[in-house]
Amino acid sequence: MATKAKTQSLEDKLKRLEEVASLLDRGEASIDEQLSMYEEGMRLAQECRTYLEEAELKVRRLSGETDEVDED
Amino acid sequence: MSIFVPMQDQAVSVSELTYVIKGLLEEGIGDVLVTGEISNFKQHSSGHRYFTLKDADAQIGAVMWRTRSLPFLPVDGMRVIVRGRLSVYPPQGKYQIDVSAMRPEGVGDLHRAFEQLREALRARGLFDADRKAQLPRRPRSVGIATSQTGAALQDMLSTINRRYPLLDVVFRPTLVQGDGAAEDIARAIAELDAAKLDVIIIGRGGGSLEDLWSFNTEVVAMAIVNARTPIISAVGHETDVTISDFVADARAETPTAAAVLVTPITIDDLIEALDDRMLGMTTVVRTRIDDMLETAASFVDGRAARRVTERIHLRQQRIDDLVTRTSRGIRHQTHLLQQRIEHTVQYLTSLHPLAPLRRGYAVIERNGAVLGPNDCVHAGDTLVVQRYTESSTVRVSAVGQPTILPPHNDYDGNESKDTIA
Repeated sequence: MATKAKTQSLEDKLKRLEEVASLLDRGEASIDEQLSMYEEGMRLAQECRTYLEEAELKVRRLSGETDEVDED
Repeated sequence: MSIFVPMQDQAVSVSELTYVIKGLLEEGIGDVLVTGEISNFKQHSSGHRYFTLKDADAQIGAVMWRTRSLPFLPVDGMRVIVRGRLSVYPPQGKYQIDVSAMRPEGVGDLHRAFEQLREALRARGLFDADRKAQLPRRPRSVGIATSQTGAALQDMLSTINRRYPLLDVVFRPTLVQGDGAAEDIARAIAELDAAKLDVIIIGRGGGSLEDLWSFNTEVVAMAIVNARTPIISAVGHETDVTISDFVADARAETPTAAAVLVTPITIDDLIEALDDRMLGMTTVVRTRIDDMLETAASFVDGRAARRVTERIHLRQQRIDDLVTRTSRGIRHQTHLLQQRIEHTVQYLTSLHPLAPLRRGYAVIERNGAVLGPNDCVHAGDTLVVQRYTESSTVRVSAVGQPTILPPHNDYDGNESKDTIA
């Protein structure tokens, strides 16, 4: 399902973002490596942010009774 | 006038008459909705229930088959409303109501039934805290069982959409009041439980005790107990309490509150965390770059260069001091050395083979080779005479005895030999 795949990829992105951020925090990499990690991290964060901002609720429906009585 | 009075004097059998009556009552009256007081309630070992409905002036038999769900325990004297069909039981010549649904009529009776069931279920340990499941800390999916047309659904969906729209919502349209509602709620719980979601909400908006009655039934209570998925009961308003609230793993005061319970972490929380992350990463990199810029700037504005120059100056000064301190002695020795060098140069200059030319002597060459002391010269030879001032080519006209002699025979020099006067 498309929704699921998208959610999955958000999870993946968040996971990778955490990796990148903790690598950056450790500060062991060269400045070039740090810069490319930073670029990747910022891109991931921005993508996640955009995805979150644009997220809209999708509701799946299990079939139930059709002759349903309205409640007031 | 009656069709049941035969035209001829011919009797009908009891069965024939009964079947006519049966047809008349069952088709002529059929479905009924009757209110009355229960008396003589008996639940047979087969599970079927038999009782009498009565009021001050009349009574009518009633049967409720085992397969019909009874949401409360009827007791004699309780006022109820029954829904069913009028039917005739030929073996006993009785007419009765075949009851499909029954509920207490008065608020007092409802409360009594509610208390009854609550105490019965409590006694069975169904409300015990230790059998309640923890709600998931960060649910990814939720099942919702409520009316498709109720405000509760809209409240929940809009709350979820506002707080955490990534939640996978599975909605199971469910009857929440009226006949069959309790059974449908129970089925909805079982279906959503089978869908293996993280949490289930069952609920509806506010209503009268009667409206909420389906949630006060044993069949719903047992469905909640049997479900493996954590269940939130969200029935009615804050003040409404139902059996399902007691049995469920969590109670929400309203459907909206239930929607909040299943979205403990919101999109805004996530966005804030992302912003923190971005800020954190930026700080790390900026600090690193600032450090580098600082280092670079120290070169650019000469701070580092000045430090180096200062060090160089310091060393130069020390060298100068040393030089000054030793220079006098060195200068003296240098002078002596220079004198010696000058003498040597003069001496060496005097030893130069062409030095005698300055004093008027000449070098004689023949065929490009300098004539040595032992070379003989013959008349007719062409010789080149090299003097200090010029070079001339001459022809020898005659060769005779030398007219001047060098001081010593063994003196090795060509200045006094091979010369032409």
